[in-house]
Amino acid sequence: MTVTAAEHGLSVRQILALERIAAGEPEVVAGAGHLDRPVRWVHVAEAADVGVMLSGGEMVLTTGVLLAGNAHARTEYIKSLHRAEAAAVVLGLGRAFPSPPEDMRRAAERYGLPMVVLHRPFPFAELTEEVQSRLVRRKFAAVSLSEGIRTALTGLITAGAPLQRLLDEIAAHSGCPVVVANLAHRVLATAGERSAVDDVLRDWERIARRAGCADGADWYRADLDGRGERWGSVVLCGYRGDGPTGRLLAERAAEALVLHRMLGGAAHTWEEQSAQSILTDLVSGVVPARQLLPRARAAGLPVNRRTFAPLVVRDGDPAELDRVLRLLGLSGLAAELADGATAVLLSLARDQAAGPLTEHFAARLRTGAGEQVVVAAAEPCTGWDDVPAGLREALHIAQAAAGTPDVPPVVRLRDVRLRGLVRLLRDDPHVQAFAERELDGLLYADDPGLLPVLRTYLATGRNKSRTAQLHHMSRPALYRRLEVIESLLGLDLDDFEQAASVHIALLAHDTQRG
Amino acid sequence: MSTVIRAAIFQTAWTGDKESMIQVHEQAVRDAAAQGAKVLCFQELFYGPYFCQVQDAKFYEYAEAIPDGPTVRRFQALAAEHGIVLVLPMYEEEQPGVLYNTAAVIDADGTYLGKYRKTHIPQVNGFWEKFYFRPGNSGWPVFDTAVGKIGVYICYDRHFPEGWRALGLEGAQIVFNPSATSRGLSGYLWQLEQPASAVANEYFVGAINRVGQEEYGDNDFYGTSYFVDPEGRFVGEVAGDKEPELVVRDLDMAKLREVRDRWQFYRDRAPGAYTPLTNP
Repeated sequence: MTVTAAEHGLSVRQILALERIAAGEPEVVAGAGHLDRPVRWVHVAEAADVGVMLSGGEMVLTTGVLLAGNAHARTEYIKSLHRAEAAAVVLGLGRAFPSPPEDMRRAAERYGLPMVVLHRPFPFAELTEEVQSRLVRRKFAAVSLSEGIRTALTGLITAGAPLQRLLDEIAAHSGCPVVVANLAHRVLATAGERSAVDDVLRDWERIARRAGCADGADWYRADLDGRGERWGSVVLCGYRGDGPTGRLLAERAAEALVLHRMLGGAAHTWEEQSAQSILTDLVSGVVPARQLLPRARAAGLPVNRRTFAPLVVRDGDPAELDRVLRLLGLSGLAAELADGATAVLLSLARDQAAGPLTEHFAARLRTGAGEQVVVAAAEPCTGWDDVPAGLREALHIAQAAAGTPDVPPVVRLRDVRLRGLVRLLRDDPHVQAFAERELDGLLYADDPGLLPVLRTYLATGRNKSRTAQLHHMSRPALYRRLEVIESLLGLDLDDFEQAASVHIALLAHDTQRG
Repeated sequence: MSTVIRAAIFQTAWTGDKESMIQVHEQAVRDAAAQGAKVLCFQELFYGPYFCQVQDAKFYEYAEAIPDGPTVRRFQALAAEHGIVLVLPMYEEEQPGVLYNTAAVIDADGTYLGKYRKTHIPQVNGFWEKFYFRPGNSGWPVFDTAVGKIGVYICYDRHFPEGWRALGLEGAQIVFNPSATSRGLSGYLWQLEQPASAVANEYFVGAINRVGQEEYGDNDFYGTSYFVDPEGRFVGEVAGDKEPELVVRDLDMAKLREVRDRWQFYRDRAPGAYTPLTNP
């Protein structure tokens, strides 16, 4: 964006209000309806053909000495100023005219040219100095603001800063919420004071439509485009400064965001990052779910009268999950949370059956990915407030299922059974102590091969021939090892309760390591 | 009684052969039904490439009889199995050498209800349709399906307001506009004409466009399929411009009545003054 003088200039009205100008007792005698014209420069000229010296936007100061006594010259003078698009004419009374000449005044009124008379003698040099220095200062301030922001943002980009960091910087400069949205008006990222941002998001639909048309009174939008394609926009919402500065900030922000995207500053798309921040905040529970509702809605997730199905897919690629969601026409957010767990939050109409749809989703994932994808599904939530717990449950199921053999495409809490319980309790010190106590003799035994034998023996339902087979040993050899294990642990593996106890301890021990 | 109809449209890319293309669409029927959709419309010439980018007689073989051809039969069975109304835009052979750009409409019990033949046939760069199709002669049929009254207006038809109006006069509640249209050519019209027609005729419109580029030309089909309501507002989001996508939306027919109570376009139109429109 070029900073034009007009945008950073003063208006005729503002100049007349300056304290030093007041000494000349200015009076507007014509063109009072055009006082908001921008003044680009102030020009002193005592010439009848002043029009040829102007290039538009000037405030022309004259005493009118060359115009006295020639009515035709006076109206021609005004006409030439009008043709040259001068901003205003200021006539110093006293030298040539004791009072404003009526013919000039009428001509100025006809052409809509503001005409001002100064009733007291006033040094024109003082006026030009005052106005000119203000104009230069303003221009300089705009250029320096523009450069300052550009330097800060470019510095961040070259340092590899994430999108959020860039936006935070833009928000800090503009002092208002900043929103990045795609062409469908889905909010991809926000910055600014949290409560102000939430207010904006609550009303996002309306603001987005407004922002789609043109700049409004106090918010400024700039398109994000590059390589001939427009992909979104950045909006400063409720910027309190003046218009030109707001537009300049928005343009600088857009420039930086385009550059950031083109340099591939993000490993994930902005859509993914947006989903990720929402899902991560939901799972963490740091922010109450209710407060995240506006963000989820603005990110395109339908939230009114919906059922939510929280799912977790281990090692799922968010882009692929998103593709399958779209292919199936399902609404949802998908993003990687941590440790290879990708969360999917489905939003379904109330009359849609979450169970069969989740099965369907998992089946399509398997045909697409061609591998044994497992979808961990928590109980569907009918209220938004239950979603965080649901997501945590799905995470838990996914973790528990990771160690379970032969799981179905969709695994639920009931499918992970004892392993699920043990997994859930794995951080409990009592459980940890229990495992250590039960397995004490075996964990530090000289023969490290004993623990795997015990694990297989219990996993096969204490089937000795199967265990011997799996460990490639003769049955007598297996019997000897089982005897050693029994003596080390001081228990009888034929006793169901003792065997069950050591089995649970072993599961707990394994979850500590898995 | 609920006035909401869960409707679906499906945009996809050319797979390279007719059979796999049909399978993709069969899967879309299952996917839509799984979500509770009661009506589904495919893109124009759904099981083929958009061969009108070239003029080559070998593509005549894509045409099938309607309703007695294999594809309609196949989807009749699928419609009955899933209880879903299907709109199948395809290449029709009435008899050798008499070919149309047609859409067959199948009711939710598998009954063949009839067909609409595309009336306006373009002949512009990349869209050499006059080589392939006779102009349609089916008039403006509206089909009384299990979900309500449905009209079809195919691709280039959409630039002509008269057909939209004729479908409205026949009582259409949802008009599907299956298309194959390219970014450079019609991008600026795509979100303008159908919403305007939905407003002018006070019904819902489902607009479908294929995605991707095919081996027969440079046309960049840009998807962005959508449903729009009688107030010209998109129902949910517009689909993406590059990937296959099933769009499932709830259309509330109460909106249709609400808008028609507010505006009386059907009452206030002046057909007596329109005679010049029908002069040849």
